[in-house]
Amino acid sequence: MATREAGKKMIMLKSPDGMEFEVEEAVAMESQTIRKMIEDDCADTAILIPNINSKILSRVIEYCNKHVPTTGATGAAASDTVAPAALAEDLKIWDAEFIKVNRATRFDLIQAASYLNIKGLLDLTSQTTIDTISDNSLEEIRSFLSTKNDYLPEEEQTIRRENQWAFQ
Amino acid sequence: MATAAATPPRGGLPEEIVIWEILVCLPPKSLLRCRAVCRAWRSTTSARDFLAAHHARQPNLPIVFQEYHGGQSLLALDNRGAAAAQLQPVARLDDDSSLEASCDGLLLLTDYGRGVPRFSVCNPATRQFACLPMLSGFVPLALGMYRHGPTGEYRVLVCLRDEDPATDACYIFALGSTHPLKNIGWLPEMDEMCSTGLVPVLFRGSLHWHIQQDESAAKVIMVFDTTAELFRRMRGPVVPCSDGLFAGMFEMDGILGMACSNDEGKIVGIWMMQDYESEVWTLKYRFELPFEEIKMQCDMRQARVKRGHMLIAVVPGGDGELLVLSRFDDCLFQINMDGKLVESFHREDLCLTQLQLKQTLALHTFFPALEGYVVNAPPFS
Repeated sequence: MATREAGKKMIMLKSPDGMEFEVEEAVAMESQTIRKMIEDDCADTAILIPNINSKILSRVIEYCNKHVPTTGATGAAASDTVAPAALAEDLKIWDAEFIKVNRATRFDLIQAASYLNIKGLLDLTSQTTIDTISDNSLEEIRSFLSTKNDYLPEEEQTIRRENQWAFQ
Repeated sequence: MATAAATPPRGGLPEEIVIWEILVCLPPKSLLRCRAVCRAWRSTTSARDFLAAHHARQPNLPIVFQEYHGGQSLLALDNRGAAAAQLQPVARLDDDSSLEASCDGLLLLTDYGRGVPRFSVCNPATRQFACLPMLSGFVPLALGMYRHGPTGEYRVLVCLRDEDPATDACYIFALGSTHPLKNIGWLPEMDEMCSTGLVPVLFRGSLHWHIQQDESAAKVIMVFDTTAELFRRMRGPVVPCSDGLFAGMFEMDGILGMACSNDEGKIVGIWMMQDYESEVWTLKYRFELPFEEIKMQCDMRQARVKRGHMLIAVVPGGDGELLVLSRFDDCLFQINMDGKLVESFHREDLCLTQLQLKQTLALHTFFPALEGYVVNAPPFS
């Protein structure tokens, strides 16, 4: 669990499978959804995060911890001594490691980032999916996203012909 | 995992997330392909609201040219995503053609081939192309293209000039109309604005041109309000004469900016207009380009063409960053704000432009009504 630092307001996040996570308020507020709850005073004791299991929620918190401005996993002193460009480079490398997860976990993270409204995490997690869809064939896209082809074969041919250059 | 708000297909993502977080970010060509995945994707991604959101998420890609024997390729520099930046083909033009303006994914082209310049408009994402014969005659020079807010029309600002300077005038044409909408007269600055390569920047609903005034350090910016369709002048930054070579105007994070370089193109200054209303400019960055490193790379590659001088264009690169593109010999270099070399492209005969392309798959109604309307024909095939 997070260590409590003097003067830092802590907040409790609960996953539907009963786990509790104590995080700094600033870290939790990386999520615009939670920020709104806190600002609207709906977060006295603990916030129940529906739909996001403890495994995914802990990864989300890990991301927010790393990305919260000035403090975070690298320690408060880091931003004073390290140039912003170096910090940004460090974050990029960290993000690249963070996103090395299987497809199911990545999809769970996308949904969590979307529900919790964490733009950076949503951009990071969806980019790999965007790249996959950009580069693959229709069959691969369908199987990747478990989407069913509901076209008749001749219909699909017609649609392919409409924008035939997109398939070259 | 507990039940999600919208039940996704087993092992997939909820359709809403697929459409509004994934498909909306795809490059236009991939999106067109994805319409053949299933019916729902096709209908949603063809709707007007989706296409507007898709266009809004598209990056502004800097446009460069590559000349080859008998023609030129129009390329877009794409530095998004994890992969290395690449030059994507946009269109192929013949030797006599040039790119005049770019607005909302539409490009205005001129062909000077048969004596009289002929204008045309195209959308590289939908591969639509059509001629604009109403702009022929005289010697027209396009100043810019913009979307007129009150009517939603795309309009072109052109200077019509013939031998008698007394008849010089600036006209507004709507794409799709056969007659000019307005004659807005002539201003002395228009001489310079007509000169090739000077590209306006759209900011707060107005087009902005930087006017070089050799005799003084103070720069003047010409502003054209695209709603009222009137010109006015604005104060530019006071740039020391030694650093006064214009390298580009741009919008970044809601602020109007301007880049200047010194004569050798080795030092770049970035000026930002901190206060638009009171026209206050401040020097935000000043850095040296990694000239020795650039020169060394060119020597190593044994560049065929030795120009021996730098050409610089500064354009917004998305993510709140600026892209400094520098051409030296036959190489194009991307340099960051610390003056560090990020990327280099070795292609023969690359030319920089100040223009950018923000692609759209929106189907404009004016296209089919224009003369010579074609899809997937030259300059796209």
